[in-house]
Amino acid sequence: MAKGKPQMATDTPRDPQDVGYTLPTILAVAVHLGIIVFSLINWPSSSAEPDSSSIVQATLVSTETFTDQAQQVTEQQAAMNTAAEPTETPDTSEPEATAPEPDTQAAEQQQAAEEAARQEAQAQAEALAEARAAAEADAQRRAEEAERVAQEQAAQAEAREAEAQRQREAEAQRAQEQAEAERQREAEAQRAREEAEALREREAEEQRQREAEAEAEAERQREAEEARAREEAEAEARREAEAEREREAAAQREREVEAQRQREAEAERQRQAAAEAAEAAMQRQLAGEAEAAANAQQAQQAANSFINIVRRAVEQAWLIPPGASDSLSATLQIRLGPSGELLAASIATSSGDSAFDRSAIQAVEQAAPFSELRDLPADQQRNLRQINLRFTPGDVR
Amino acid sequence: MNDNTMSIPHLIMNASVVVQLVMLLLMVGSILSWVVIFQRSIALRRAKQEYNQFEESFWSGVDLNELYREIPADDPRHGAEHMFQSGFREFNRLMPKTRNADTVLEGVQRSMRVAWSREEDRLTQHLVFLATVASASPYIGLFGTVWGIMGSFQSLSMTQQATLATVAPWIAEALIATAMGLFAAIPAVIFYNRLSNSASRLLGKYEDFAEEFHAILHRNLQGRDGKPSAS
Repeated sequence: MAKGKPQMATDTPRDPQDVGYTLPTILAVAVHLGIIVFSLINWPSSSAEPDSSSIVQATLVSTETFTDQAQQVTEQQAAMNTAAEPTETPDTSEPEATAPEPDTQAAEQQQAAEEAARQEAQAQAEALAEARAAAEADAQRRAEEAERVAQEQAAQAEAREAEAQRQREAEAQRAQEQAEAERQREAEAQRAREEAEALREREAEEQRQREAEAEAEAERQREAEEARAREEAEAEARREAEAEREREAAAQREREVEAQRQREAEAERQRQAAAEAAEAAMQRQLAGEAEAAANAQQAQQAANSFINIVRRAVEQAWLIPPGASDSLSATLQIRLGPSGELLAASIATSSGDSAFDRSAIQAVEQAAPFSELRDLPADQQRNLRQINLRFTPGDVR
Repeated sequence: MNDNTMSIPHLIMNASVVVQLVMLLLMVGSILSWVVIFQRSIALRRAKQEYNQFEESFWSGVDLNELYREIPADDPRHGAEHMFQSGFREFNRLMPKTRNADTVLEGVQRSMRVAWSREEDRLTQHLVFLATVASASPYIGLFGTVWGIMGSFQSLSMTQQATLATVAPWIAEALIATAMGLFAAIPAVIFYNRLSNSASRLLGKYEDFAEEFHAILHRNLQGRDGKPSAS
């Protein structure tokens, strides 16, 4: 009992209090298995991360679109130049708007004048149709020339129409600038009206004839004036003044002072509307130009970015045959389905090395579904369904 | 296909032998450190409970002889009980042999110090292993990563076009080694600090108890000035 006990106590140190190692081992292994299982279960969601290599591509694309912007500026300028030309064709379409008014007045006055006006209107419509056909042919030619900027051209066509409208409105504005002159002329016309009231019984029929002739002359004059592009506004103003004088004369004949007043009010309203429209047009012109430019830029950027995504994906999947030299280049035509799946890939321009061509097509097939297509707006998707890509090994290496 | 090549098990299986060995080492180290963590946590919690129970019975006013007799001689106890047992046994053994109170108290103190140091050894058992794992496994993992990246660059020099896709799997599999090293090290560090702290607190309590017990025996010797009643 004396000396054995303490040794015993220390020799067998783990009895009641000490913990065995089986339970901790089981727990530790369970912890690790749990972590492994967790990581394996969690894996599918994190497997999306490798796909996010497209994010890297996206950043690359953004830098490239910056370089594209420079191109775009020149393209836009060219587009503006082309857009400036067609603005003259809408000028010819302008009489369409002014012609019907005298037509109705002429119908009220005389049928002969109406027929003449109709014929003139038809002639004008034909001229218009020709001009439009020419414009369309022009647009088609331009569309064929530049397949890729077709989208932009659509925007430009809108811009052209908007500009035509704006010009019309601007002319109205010019008319408004002459409103004071018109008012003076109106005052004169009123004086003439008073005189005409005295003389109306005698001169009624003569006046009618004279007015009909004057109207025909005025319309002829109008045609001549319309032919001239720049002086048109003044001519129009004169025409309008004449038309108003005629209208007032007709009112004198019919003794409809109220109608006159109405017409004056109407004219004033028109003038105000014209003024407002002119101001709005100025603002719209500014806003619309910026917007159109921004839209075209966005569309172009989206298209460029998509093409760049496709190009990058294909280049990543591209295993260049070892013998291929950097000077080779192949142009591929890729047709895509609505959701970005590959419908067909074919060689548009062969590099001359069939193995090289094949490797490029295989790369496209491997890189295929380009699901980014779905992110684009629908009208752009149609344009991007078919894309041509040019590949040279030098770009990739 | 992409998912498959980049999945973690696939990366581990495709790693080079050295990296795989490093990963295996880290895995074993991690498992062992967790074994130690669980074992020590349970042991320390029990030791604390037992100390509380013993302290309660010790200060409940029970006669020390009875308390000593309650402890079976062939059933060694731990913690404060062990110190009480060894100290009281030494006291009983020395009392018949010497009249000198200082000699008795010295012997008691010495035996209790021995018991305390054994308790210390028992409580901090394997904690050093945790410290080793905590400090070494990041370096081991880093070694695996460096080795893997070395291999990746060696193989990179063979390829014609160095795209990200050719480098990425190598680097990923190399980085797994570092990840595993950190995975083993972080719990080891945390639990080493926590367990060693609770062990040292428990040892401090033992020390306090030893001093108190020593004071009681000293008081008894001064009072009797001869044979204690417990002979």
